[in-house]
Amino acid sequence: MTAAVEAEVGRARRRKEDARLITGRTRWTDNLTLPGMLHLAILRSPVAHARIAAVDTSAAEAMPGVLAVLTGVDLAKEQGSMGCAWPVTPDMAAPQHPAMAVDTVRYAGEAVALVVAASAYQARDALDAIDVEYADLPVVLDVTRALAADSPLVHPEFGSNRCATWVFDSAEAGTGGETAPAIADAEVVLRRRFRQQRIIPAFMEPRSVLVDPTGDQVTMWSATQVPHILRMMLAATLGLPEHKLRVIAPDVGGGFGGKLQVTPEEVLVLLAARRLGRPVKYTETRSDSMLSCHHGRDQFQDLTLAARPDGTITALEVELLADLGAYLGLLTPGIPLLGAFMFNGIYRIPAYRFTCTSVFTNKMYTDAVRGAGRPEATFGIERMMDELAAELGLDPLEVRRRNWIGHEQFPFTTVAGLTYDSGNYEAATDRATELFDYQGLRREQARRREQDDPTLLGIGVSTYTEMCGIAPSKVLGSLSFGAGGWEHAAIRMLPTGKVEVVTGSSPHGQGHETAWSQIVADRLGVPFEDVEVLHGDTQISPRGMDTYGSRSLAVGGVAVLLAADRVLDKARPVAAHLLGCAAEDLDFAAGRFTARGTENGVSIQEVTGAVFAAHDLPDGFEPNLDAQATFDPENFSFPHGTHLCAVEVDTETGAVKIRSYVCVDDVGTVVNPLIVDGQVHGGVVHGIAQALFEEASYDELGNLTTGTFADYLLPTAADLPHLVTDRTVTPATSNPLGAKGVGESGTIAATPAVVNAVVDAVRHLGVTDIEMPCTPQRVWRAIGGGA
Amino acid sequence: MDFLIPSTFAEALAIKAERPEVVPIAGGTDVMVELNFDHRRPTALLDLTRIAELTEWAPSENLLRVGAGVPYVRIIDELGDRLPGLAMASRTVGSPQIRNRGTVGGNLGAASPAGDTHPVLLACDAQVEVASVRGTRMIPAAEFYLGVKRNALEPDELIAAVHLAPAAAPQQFSKVGTRNAMVIAVCSFAVALHPEQGRVGAAVGSAAPTPRRALAAEEFLAGELSDAGLWESPKPLLDSVRRRFGELAAEAASPIDDVRGTAAYRRHALAVLARRTLGWAWQDYCGTGETRSQSCA
Ligand SMILES: Cc1cc2nc3c(=O)[nH]c(=O)nc-3n(C[C@H](O)[C@H](O)[C@H](O)COP(=O)(O)OP(=O)(O)OC[C@H]3O[C@@H](n4cnc5c(N)ncnc54)[C@H](O)[C@@H]3O)c2cc1C
Repeated sequence: MTAAVEAEVGRARRRKEDARLITGRTRWTDNLTLPGMLHLAILRSPVAHARIAAVDTSAAEAMPGVLAVLTGVDLAKEQGSMGCAWPVTPDMAAPQHPAMAVDTVRYAGEAVALVVAASAYQARDALDAIDVEYADLPVVLDVTRALAADSPLVHPEFGSNRCATWVFDSAEAGTGGETAPAIADAEVVLRRRFRQQRIIPAFMEPRSVLVDPTGDQVTMWSATQVPHILRMMLAATLGLPEHKLRVIAPDVGGGFGGKLQVTPEEVLVLLAARRLGRPVKYTETRSDSMLSCHHGRDQFQDLTLAARPDGTITALEVELLADLGAYLGLLTPGIPLLGAFMFNGIYRIPAYRFTCTSVFTNKMYTDAVRGAGRPEATFGIERMMDELAAELGLDPLEVRRRNWIGHEQFPFTTVAGLTYDSGNYEAATDRATELFDYQGLRREQARRREQDDPTLLGIGVSTYTEMCGIAPSKVLGSLSFGAGGWEHAAIRMLPTGKVEVVTGSSPHGQGHETAWSQIVADRLGVPFEDVEVLHGDTQISPRGMDTYGSRSLAVGGVAVLLAADRVLDKARPVAAHLLGCAAEDLDFAAGRFTARGTENGVSIQEVTGAVFAAHDLPDGFEPNLDAQATFDPENFSFPHGTHLCAVEVDTETGAVKIRSYVCVDDVGTVVNPLIVDGQVHGGVVHGIAQALFEEASYDELGNLTTGTFADYLLPTAADLPHLVTDRTVTPATSNPLGAKGVGESGTIAATPAVVNAVVDAVRHLGVTDIEMPCTPQRVWRAIGGGA
Repeated sequence: MDFLIPSTFAEALAIKAERPEVVPIAGGTDVMVELNFDHRRPTALLDLTRIAELTEWAPSENLLRVGAGVPYVRIIDELGDRLPGLAMASRTVGSPQIRNRGTVGGNLGAASPAGDTHPVLLACDAQVEVASVRGTRMIPAAEFYLGVKRNALEPDELIAAVHLAPAAAPQQFSKVGTRNAMVIAVCSFAVALHPEQGRVGAAVGSAAPTPRRALAAEEFLAGELSDAGLWESPKPLLDSVRRRFGELAAEAASPIDDVRGTAAYRRHALAVLARRTLGWAWQDYCGTGETRSQSCA
């Protein structure tokens, strides 16, 4: 008999991993202690650009507890050069990138020496006794002047601060027309320069790395998003045989892209541990983290939008000037290019040209931060849509309607060459305007203006889409990326009928253990509680491409689904054998194979037990139900949605208060609504934070002036509105789950919605842009307050 | 480093006399930050949290004596009705965790120009009671702040308490910050009405090397109020009066440009804060407006 069981997929289960994560009763890297473990501290450059004239380590070496003090010169022969996996053009300038500076420092925060000592405090204290003599060099900080002929150079060997110039042109690609004639002929041409400020990923758990060199294999624990990539890259960077290295990402407390990196710290700890032959641990302080964890965004966008008087867009040109900082991290030069495919947004644009010039400066390098390239692009186009609406005196929603891809037009190949498989922008927008009381707020806005109310109301729109579920390997290949975009999963059926799921995705807060369990519980018909999800250890899960780019469910989750299907395929002949019928005559539901038309059945657990015993199996059956699958998606997934934001702007202080925020997202099939809501909330808040609060600033000497959470502002609950979230469901057609990514969509959508709202509130005062973050002071200045 | 745990105030004073270099620690919300950032390495910490006398408050003559170690959360809960200005400032400090531990004594000990209680203590004519083995003295708040993070304590002295009159009329505190919680003030302002003296107290925070009284603003308003007989028969204030008060309050400041705000913005925002807080307080005094308990501008 089969009892009706509630489907797991779609169920708002609380996350099974939360109890241990929230209470801290788990193995964060810094919680680990190994016998004989030593502690490492890093001396960081206090200057942005200098020659290292001399380093005297003798006093530090004599400090209590100190076992070793190492400089870049000591490590020069073995440290190699940190790898960049994305050579975006054949002529890209790819500088040497030592884990520890050898003769020159190029940003404040770069490692110049390390101490290994018996305790973390002794190691830290000994840093103060290291004497470094710096011969200052001129600094390059302003990206808009870095290409001038007389600019100081970050890497003189290239003769320029230019890293690469990358162009996409729809006429050349055959995906659209030429932009120049379209712009020349257009009746309406808008030009805007927007700034995407530099931000810091600000994950909750500081990075930590522990290396045990004492076995035959070297084992590294690291608070990383990418244990598999890390292992491969360390092997390549250090010439270490890959099979002699095991990398473990135990529980990891957030990343937001900031732990999608192979870091100098990981290399340095490994080298130090190997030298000393003892386990060595390094855990960064928050201030270290702000300085030396890669930053994100940081670009100027020059946009030209051509349109007809009715608002129909005829061409879009984008010129990016991207500040890469001093070196290339794992993906640095490729991040702005992810925007190339997204500046056209959800719109039918006949001609499109994108140019990105990336530049070196004396700052921390930039790399992926939540959304990576796509928030920048979405900001650009969604800000432009509001500007176009204002220029033409149209409602911003109406301008979008006139240009977006109709739901009946999918699949739709865009001017940037991507094929959007599915979507329904009308449905999401209708639902959002209804929840928002769009017309009511417009009336209030008009009333406040008429009454000269010092508090004005502004409404901002963002109808976004994004490409995620990274990525079809072929597409990555065409973009010169150094690896594929598949994901791997394996399922192990234990003798008692319990199930182990091994995933190559590497969760750091997203809830994979719960979602994967739900998928497998449904597919195999086993209880949710009977599924254990294993991850983040190259020994347990040898194949994987890890977690970033909203790829886990839409790629890794699908691999899990496929592996579960293979388990069933294997189990079927055994079930038929046990039931004495033909495999074709079996039905499978709720964990039971039944001979069609009979009550005769056997559970998946019974089949598993029978295979384990192997006493009575079909002839030639290999006694093993375990299965694996590697899924390489045929396309990206394209979540979309409509976000509407209303802000109140206090024109006397410039303070912005978010009055209401509505988002209706379409992320395809939802495995766990609670997890999706969590991602949307976190994502939207992250996007709001960029609009109103966060900015990494450097002073004129290249010192990071926002190096603590007192100055690098993250919003608190008191700064945030109640978020109204809802969904439409248009399943993705590019994967059998129908799932689209959701980890980044909120961040991508929210920033332009908020800034559009702030600008809308004060547009009648002559304002067309306010640089992010829209702090009270900047808003006050924009409306003519003063300096 | 020694960690000294006296259980009476007398014992603490004896230690401070003998070893003036020891660093007192109350809630630790400033001290621990300094230690963690390695800004200082004291030879000893003097823990004040076990000293019962410091964590009490009581009426003393016609004033309230609030022990230096009473945490913000208790000021809000227990003294919100009698010391509304101090309670408002307390509410804007940090986060619940910080308000559970942080104290007014610590705010005074740190003497940061951005400390939130300072403008209120100035506007309310508070007296700081300090003690040493040599005896006890009262320092008016206006004479307590000497410079950036410098106060009038002698090396052997500890802060015992602050003395303030229970409010006889409305008080207001407001702060402009870069976000709504967990934030160092860009500028702050406190105003307290003293009808029995026919004057108002007004003070600016985070806009000069020390918190400061806005004397010109106080005098201007006292004159306006008594000339028009408004204390006796309160009427809404003219907009021009509130604006002038704001301008004069802003002139009391000598702000700087820093990451949190430019001097020009601080001066402007102070004028707005002063005008608004005065408006709220006076409205309450007139009995017309609804009573405001929140204090965010
Ligand atoms: C996250 C965070 C947020 C904060 N937000 C705010 C804010 O919004 N507004 C604000 O004003 N402050 C803020 N602060 C600073 C701090 O919380 C306050 O200054 C608080 O009042 C300090 O009180 P405490 O008891 O913790 O002092 P402690 O740290 O214990 O001491 C502070 C100083 O006073 C001295 N001291 C303490 N007690 C005595 C005494 N009885 N006699 C003599 N000297 C003494 C100490 O030696 C030390 O120099 C914040 C701090 C943190 C960490």
